[in-house]
Amino acid sequence: MYQYTEFDRQFVHARAAQFRDQLERNLAGELSDDDFRPLRLQNGWYIQRHAPMFRIAVPYGEISSRQVRQLAHIGREFDKGFVHFTTRTNAQFNWIPLPRAADAVDALAEVDMHAIQTSGNCIRNITTDVFAGIAPDEIVDPRPYCEILRQWSTLQPEFAFLPRKFKIAVNGAREDRAAIAWHDIGLQLLKDGNGAVGFKVLVGGGMGRTPVIGSVANEFIPWDHILVFIEAIVRVYNRWGRRDNAFKARIKILVKAEGQRYFDEVNAEYAKILESGTAHIIPQAELDRVSASFHLPEKIHPAIGGFDPNRTGAAPVALLRWLDRNVHAHRIEGYRAVTLSLKRPGLPPGDVTSEQLEAAAQMADRYSLGELRVSHEQNLLLPWVREADLVAVWHAAREAGFATPNIGLLTDMIACPGGDLCALANARSIPIAAAITEQFDDLDALLDLGEIDLHISGCMNSCGHHHTGHIGILGVDKDGSEWYQVTVGGSDGTTLSGASTPGKVIGPSFAAEEVPDVVQALVDTYRAQRLSDERFVDTARRIGVAPFRAAADLVRRETAVAA
Amino acid sequence: MTIRFIDRAADTWQTVPDDALVVPAANLLLTLAQWESVRESWPQHLPVGVRVPNTVDIETLADDLPRFVLVALEFPKWVDGRAYSQAHVLRHRLRYAGELRATGDVVVDMMLQLTRTGFDAVALREGQQQASAERALRFFPAFYQGDVLEPRPLFGRQAA
Repeated sequence: MYQYTEFDRQFVHARAAQFRDQLERNLAGELSDDDFRPLRLQNGWYIQRHAPMFRIAVPYGEISSRQVRQLAHIGREFDKGFVHFTTRTNAQFNWIPLPRAADAVDALAEVDMHAIQTSGNCIRNITTDVFAGIAPDEIVDPRPYCEILRQWSTLQPEFAFLPRKFKIAVNGAREDRAAIAWHDIGLQLLKDGNGAVGFKVLVGGGMGRTPVIGSVANEFIPWDHILVFIEAIVRVYNRWGRRDNAFKARIKILVKAEGQRYFDEVNAEYAKILESGTAHIIPQAELDRVSASFHLPEKIHPAIGGFDPNRTGAAPVALLRWLDRNVHAHRIEGYRAVTLSLKRPGLPPGDVTSEQLEAAAQMADRYSLGELRVSHEQNLLLPWVREADLVAVWHAAREAGFATPNIGLLTDMIACPGGDLCALANARSIPIAAAITEQFDDLDALLDLGEIDLHISGCMNSCGHHHTGHIGILGVDKDGSEWYQVTVGGSDGTTLSGASTPGKVIGPSFAAEEVPDVVQALVDTYRAQRLSDERFVDTARRIGVAPFRAAADLVRRETAVAA
Repeated sequence: MTIRFIDRAADTWQTVPDDALVVPAANLLLTLAQWESVRESWPQHLPVGVRVPNTVDIETLADDLPRFVLVALEFPKWVDGRAYSQAHVLRHRLRYAGELRATGDVVVDMMLQLTRTGFDAVALREGQQQASAERALRFFPAFYQGDVLEPRPLFGRQAA
């Protein structure tokens, strides 16, 4: 994990002091609510339905046991004893009163954390592959570049007030586990024929009302020039992006509208910055300095001999299922990564109680060198588990409620907090997620269905990434009541899911009560039509939307089939 | 980090109404259209300033910059950040050395972005507290990335 320097530490404390000053001026009436809004947003504070929502950055998903314990503490001390993890690997609290906001920010700074630019029209928290640095298919470890990008984008003065939010994702493996084509900038690390490291750069992807797949801006930018190329991309966007309509302000709209003219301008700008003599070309020494935090931990000793769960007698079925679904390959012989599932009955997807956070921190200390990851799929991951410890980890995970063996399956769904908590939402997500979790509680049936990405968003802002779900559910508002639009066949760009594409709508929206039956109808259609090894998304691609639509129409009770 | 706060009552710069004839005089702050209409006949050493909307490609002003002693960039809303890019390019690329003034909807919490992108004068929105603006300049001892005041990023300064 990245180790904060004295500079980094001072910086987050300075930011906390600056925010306290702004908050105090707001509470004293000097700074109006309207003027305070953009400032608090860039410090992670939304005003939501019931109380402010506080979004905390977990940069590129890496978090230490100490930091997890502090989240547990903040949850207890300031909130109602739980935290929510998001698809962008942020952590969110929902019940902290605004007058205590600055104290919560201070509590983060104590453990080298912050909430800088987790909202607002600026460059947001940078995300990457949850298996960064441990994936067997990794080309280049993305984390040092993510950290350099984090530092560069933090309080970048020229780009603090862009037309709209701006999200960057970095992937360093052969498999794209960071959904890079769906980001404002998507970076794929590569090595050229000579082994030189660089980035393929995608620009203009995004979800929201208009889902767009990113376009290639450059096939290979040398690693040391990446800040310069990104500066060019963002400067042209800052100058040309639309500001007259928030729905047309993302860079994807600009790239669509201007096409080659936009890329020509970016290339011209890139050339001009390089001529300036002050271009932020990353020195090898800086890459080395940052990379030192990400070297293979000294305590890691490759072990040989393989792993046999039956070595000490027949392993129970539950353990075998957990090994199959929640335990992942590792680049170091004798090690595995373990997902702690945050998808189980009784709690919304991505939610964890303070007690569970402490259990996770303890597991990390005992079995994973004190390190955890937050995944894009809203789970936690232990990245450094010895095969010899797997059975002990399974027992600990079961005890803490993390052992649901459903990773990658239908109930490992992505969902935003939705209308229960979020002021933007058109409809609730949590009851939909809960109803589906309840309906699909039979593990054998789930395993039979195989890998299915189910994504739920409470509104067009797409925080639940409904566009990329094999099954996508989107909350919509019609005449003040909640309805759900269902899509089939979306992809986040992984090999399993196929080339990035938004799902296709299967007809008019459904009532909340109908949604679990719609999901049932969709998977029943898949089961009836699948060829031998075919996964849901492949069947959906092969047979198209019509059979799914017909099956879903049969379960309509309150909603009418469109003519 | 310092910035000059413009006292509107004491400001010596005068704008010219849109329909009035522009007669060369000291301390006139012209629109770009007004400047275009007089640039050929304007006395070479008479100080002049221009007001530049945030939609203008600032590099198109490159040839005239040596003749300006004041460039006023506009913030129609304080969260509209286009003028930061104009300022950065003016100072960094075009080496503009005259006064660079932030006008329009300018609030105290913009001070760091303004100074770091090269503004050295600011006309605050009515009702803003200058003391708060001065305090806003002092929270951070330094920053990660380079800016107009310190072109080297942190990694460039550490190596030096």
